Amino acid sequence: MNTTLRNGLLLLLTLVLIAGFGCAKKQADSLTPGGEEEELSMTGEERQAAMNISDGIIYFDYDSFSLSAEAKSTLTQKASIIKRFPQLRVIIEGHCDERGTEEYNLALGERRARAAYEYMLNLGVGVGQMEMVSFGKLHPAVSGSGEVAWSKNRRDEFKVSKPK
Amino acid sequence: MSMTPSRYAGCGTSAFWAALFLMVCLIMPPSVSAALTVDVTSPGNTMTNIVQAAPLGNSSRAAALQKAIGANMTLLPFVNVINPNGIPGGGAISGATADGIDFKRFSLANAQLLITTNWNDPSMVELRCFSVAQGSLMFGNRYAVKDGEDALLDVADKFCDDFLEAVIGRGDFFRSSMAFIKTDGARKRDVWSVRPNGRYLHRLTNMQGEALSPSWSPDGRKVIFTHIDKRSHGLGIYDTGSKSTQRIKFPGNTVIGPTYLPDGRVAVSLTDGRNPSIFILGHSLEKQGKLDESQSIDVSPSVDAKGTLMAFTSNRMGGPQIFLKDLRSGSVRRISQYGNYNTDPSISPDGTLIAYARQEGGGHRIYVQDLISGQERQLTFGPGSDEEPAFAPDSYFIAFMSTRNGKKSIYITTRNGGEPKLLPSGAGDAAFPAWSRSMRARE
Repeated sequence: MNTTLRNGLLLLLTLVLIAGFGCAKKQADSLTPGGEEEELSMTGEERQAAMNISDGIIYFDYDSFSLSAEAKSTLTQKASIIKRFPQLRVIIEGHCDERGTEEYNLALGERRARAAYEYMLNLGVGVGQMEMVSFGKLHPAVSGSGEVAWSKNRRDEFKVSKPK
Repeated sequence: MSMTPSRYAGCGTSAFWAALFLMVCLIMPPSVSAALTVDVTSPGNTMTNIVQAAPLGNSSRAAALQKAIGANMTLLPFVNVINPNGIPGGGAISGATADGIDFKRFSLANAQLLITTNWNDPSMVELRCFSVAQGSLMFGNRYAVKDGEDALLDVADKFCDDFLEAVIGRGDFFRSSMAFIKTDGARKRDVWSVRPNGRYLHRLTNMQGEALSPSWSPDGRKVIFTHIDKRSHGLGIYDTGSKSTQRIKFPGNTVIGPTYLPDGRVAVSLTDGRNPSIFILGHSLEKQGKLDESQSIDVSPSVDAKGTLMAFTSNRMGGPQIFLKDLRSGSVRRISQYGNYNTDPSISPDGTLIAYARQEGGGHRIYVQDLISGQERQLTFGPGSDEEPAFAPDSYFIAFMSTRNGKKSIYITTRNGGEPKLLPSGAGDAAFPAWSRSMRARE
């Protein structure tokens, strides 16, 4: 390899590394309405798989992000489907009941989403197929107070998309 | 109506009015000749009764000014505004100074403070506050007044801040700006700003998704906040100059409770590893370091005005509790000692108190702990849930979110408690009050 070519490659690699480092640090967008990731339409088989993945909500105890045996069983079923459809992506949403405060619940919801994420990661689901987001107590599934409603709101939901 | 600094800078007559105001202040300096009689340390037990005498002079605007002053005074948790109709012989006085006032009549109605309005010159009004028991002037000023209702309300705000200056030593409450979050439809929350009396209510952001946890920059030019869309958290930054909003994404999944430090850097809870941890971001929002290496959830940083003390919530000892980090020595100590769930800390700018929300049977209640004595005091008692306390720049007033009236609203109390007063913020849920430390914030 001659010196000119090697220097050119080194420069190119340096630029790529700098660009990559900048992206890893942070990414600024103007806030514009719309701006969602483009998605492809699903085939019938994919739609059925997406429905099976979304259907099983998992629930948690109060102020806890430990997975119950039932939750683990549900996640095992989801993982096997997700692995069979590598073109699909799953957003794991962590939610909390109304009793805690907003900021702490955002952190707790993240831990709940992460519990499912890590469990399915250990079952072989690819990192590129999963995302996490915590909504804390912003979006209760069931309105009202009392343990019946609260127990339905301490949960992970699973949203499926087919990114372009 | 916006009241931006630039708008006034461009006003040709502003220099004239400023000079005139300074001149009259020099001619008639505030007099604090009497010992103050207002007990601001134990509101609820000792309310101060204030009455306004019938206005002197020939201005047709005096009644509107008195109404605005009365409305402001009702927002103070240690003040009870008396109807002048209850004064024996009525609220009329024969002169604007102590010599022209029969204080006994006001004393019989249990009034402790008397406010007089003397308005002859259309461009200038004299406002005074007297101690009824001592029959002496607490303070008084002449205020330049322009045409229009806003100008009239500005005078009321200035006078009431002068009143607070006399009784609590800081007079910027009524002219301070508060950012807060207003719900605007399903899954839509935006940042708004307002003064504590409901004036200058403005929408700052208009985004898809939900904004939470606003915090003003020290110079009052920017507001940062958490922004959550359908699939991610981001750091929102609103610029009051350009009126534009940016959203910054970070690696990891959480952006929780950002707050500005006094030097313009930002403390925010991000996920780097398995737990949301508090990071310091530099002026370009680059990560400068983690608060500490605890294997726990750390959220809700709140920093004093010197930037030396940081309160935060952590579950490092089990449930969420309030901790305090000395940013000089690095030492961390637990603050909340009672209850299983203490969150939402707000440290007073003077670094002497921490307010926080404690979960109890019927919801959360606001408590405040004295960092010097270690004593804790309950400030709010519901009903509903009281959360998200925020100290004002004066370290005296505290705003918080409460559901006591059936929806999320912002109320104001003091570090000593007292009946919380509703902050008018229009329709829709209102939450996450955040006071600006700068008088520049007027958007």
